[in-house]
Amino acid sequence: MNRRKFFRQSLGATALAGSYLAFGRSARLFSMPLAPAGSLPYDLVAVRGGEAEVMFDRGIEALGGIKAFVKKGQKVVLKPNIGWDVSPERAGNTNPKLVARIIKHCLDAGAKEVYVFDHTCDNWQKCYKNSGIEDAVKEAGGKIAPGHSESYYQEVTVKGGSMIVRAKEHELILGSDVFINIPVMKSHSSSRMTIAMKNLMGVVWDRGFWHSNDLHLCIAEYAGYRKPDLNVVDAYAVMKRNGPRGVSVEDVVTMKAQLISTDMVAVDAAAAKLFGLDPDSIRHIQLAAERGVGRKDLDKLNIKRIAL
Amino acid sequence: MSLQHLKKVRVIVSVAVFVLISFLFLDIGNIIPAGVTSAVVSFQLVPALAKSLMGPGMWMIGLAGIVLLTALFGRVYCSSLCPLGTLQDLIIRLARKRDRRRRFRYSKPKYALHYSVLGATALLALGGSMVLLNVLEPFSIFGRILQGLVRPAVVGVNNGAAGILGWFGLYHVYQVPLGGFGVAVVAVPLVFLGVLFYMSYYHGRFFCNTLCPAGALLGLVSRFSLFKIVIDESTCKDCGLCAKVCKARCIDADNHVVEFSACVSCFNCIDSCPTVGLKYEGFRRERPKTSSDHVDGSRRNLLAGAMVSAMSFVTSRTDSVVSVPPAERQRFPVTPPGSRGLEHFTQLCTACHLCVSTCPTQVLTPSLLEYGVAGIFQPKMDYWLSYCNYDCVLCSTICPSGAILPIALPDKKLVQLGKAQFVKDDCIVITKKTECGACSEHCPTKAVYMIPHEKLMLPEVNNEICVGCGACEHSCPTKPRKAIYVESNFVHLPAKKPQVKKLEQQEVQTGEFPF
Repeated sequence: MNRRKFFRQSLGATALAGSYLAFGRSARLFSMPLAPAGSLPYDLVAVRGGEAEVMFDRGIEALGGIKAFVKKGQKVVLKPNIGWDVSPERAGNTNPKLVARIIKHCLDAGAKEVYVFDHTCDNWQKCYKNSGIEDAVKEAGGKIAPGHSESYYQEVTVKGGSMIVRAKEHELILGSDVFINIPVMKSHSSSRMTIAMKNLMGVVWDRGFWHSNDLHLCIAEYAGYRKPDLNVVDAYAVMKRNGPRGVSVEDVVTMKAQLISTDMVAVDAAAAKLFGLDPDSIRHIQLAAERGVGRKDLDKLNIKRIAL
Repeated sequence: MSLQHLKKVRVIVSVAVFVLISFLFLDIGNIIPAGVTSAVVSFQLVPALAKSLMGPGMWMIGLAGIVLLTALFGRVYCSSLCPLGTLQDLIIRLARKRDRRRRFRYSKPKYALHYSVLGATALLALGGSMVLLNVLEPFSIFGRILQGLVRPAVVGVNNGAAGILGWFGLYHVYQVPLGGFGVAVVAVPLVFLGVLFYMSYYHGRFFCNTLCPAGALLGLVSRFSLFKIVIDESTCKDCGLCAKVCKARCIDADNHVVEFSACVSCFNCIDSCPTVGLKYEGFRRERPKTSSDHVDGSRRNLLAGAMVSAMSFVTSRTDSVVSVPPAERQRFPVTPPGSRGLEHFTQLCTACHLCVSTCPTQVLTPSLLEYGVAGIFQPKMDYWLSYCNYDCVLCSTICPSGAILPIALPDKKLVQLGKAQFVKDDCIVITKKTECGACSEHCPTKAVYMIPHEKLMLPEVNNEICVGCGACEHSCPTKPRKAIYVESNFVHLPAKKPQVKKLEQQEVQTGEFPF
């Protein structure tokens, strides 16, 4: 970013300020659900055997392409896992190539802008840089946004929550038309596994509350309130132990898999099975299914399996 | 070049140095490379001296340059390279603006006091306490004023701008954490600035000629400077203007004497003289008259007294650190990686707080008396506020005094600053019977790992591979007491490498879906 470009963008933004202030932040209020349940050809798409970006190409194609989720002129926010200051091969963060490819699909479908952020655990600038995601996002034409300061978060009421009633949610989640969740599937010392639902902890500010007030219940309740428009689970390289941060590349196996669905419970259940765990052994999956957040009865779902 | 231009040159150099050093402390985006920082601070006397005493390096160039400059032309350092000197000049300027008739008057140099301060400072430093440097060293005072008072203002402006731009979806300017607040962070530099303001507003460079150990040391050298500023009696018209503009108040116009070891070489006198009556002169056959020709006994007494008090302070020092009751959770603060441990760190740190303003995770914060009086103001690791990034050694690359020695990243990962202590009875998993594991989640070495406990997972600590980074303590959600905390090591210990067992790479079986 050079100064001239900065000023140009700032001026452009100022010119748009009026309309933006009026509608920018409340965009979600006006947006209609794009893909109402049942209108998609499959409940879940599972892909194996290719590079992360190729698997996404094929997987999203089976669902009718990204245009089923992203319309021209819309503002899209992507939430990969960028939690840790580790290099891409450590698989502690979402595969940067996958993030870049999803941005490309969104922009090709006519998205006005594609933002990417995470509320990181380690120092955010180091996470963004060393995960390879910042560079990948910029290269792909997306915009990387910070999430490290409380001032980026706004208080919301978690509908249906009994344990987590209020949360501070990132302004980009509140102000975007489309929210795509891109977790990386990993082992996790607190929640056993981290997949789609757990990844949403990175869109809120006060994670300490979740940890000290029944983590699994908070995850399930928040998942019931905030449902992403699409979930893409990165299981290309998978951290099998020492998660979520991992200690070395020796914690990682290459699985070359990807799961795509609008149903977080379904992808989490399928991911657990891929990982080698019974979905019922992960309490937040069970709690979320009980609350009707999504379905974990995979044998009754319409699943498209693609082997490359 | 005519001597009349000296003042102009001095002003330009001093402003440039002032701005440069200020940038080091206000660089909230960490854009200045560590090499530049090191090069700049190696021209600060006390840090360069401290490092040179430890071993050779580029700081010796800085030290040699300062000494040579002083040996040739006197305390040029005090008006050109010392940022605190320039800050005082700004205050003096303000005083003159407020009252145009403000004039300085010659004041007999307080050599006795000044050298006593220097002696006590040196003795204490040799005895292992930096207390007088922490309080009086000019670069450190300046650093603390910038870090504690100016940096928050810069952060505030930045965050305001970031907030406004954020409304338009522009995130190029981002929020910067303000860091810690409190007595040690804000009140201490405020007091220092207040005292400094008073002294320079009413008495010019009073601090530099009574309390500053660097000024005293350079004054000793400038006694023997090859070239000295003298009053040329053949052209002097006895107008006394030079004495009236002398911030160091070292010109005795009545007797045509310049007390050169008190002179801070600001060149205001040369600039002000209507007749070129002041000049640099070398190789004088006869010694110029100085008031120090009349030795008074009180000075020696004072020196002796200062030394005695210093000695007693030194002997009491060790107690002040160790006598914290053992029942206290934390015996003393954790010191940053590269500092080798409490002793090395506290014996070399001048409390300039450059590390505090540089630390990306803002875990380094100013202390007040946590290290005892002997280590007043020196920074500590505050794991309540943040934790030490596993993949960062930034503080070790910029520490001006050598209190934090350069350490390579692979080595840093095998240094144990302290040991994580798990207090089971305070843990969420025990008190609330729900899963948590935030500590283990953040642990970079998995020294904190989870074991099954009544259908839940409970943390356990392997101290052999714990590096004491504080990630566990920082992320622990229990309040008001953390259920896991780092107890500092008196001397940093080696940490074992986390054991890495190979995982069997699963065959990539395309088309295999377990659902």
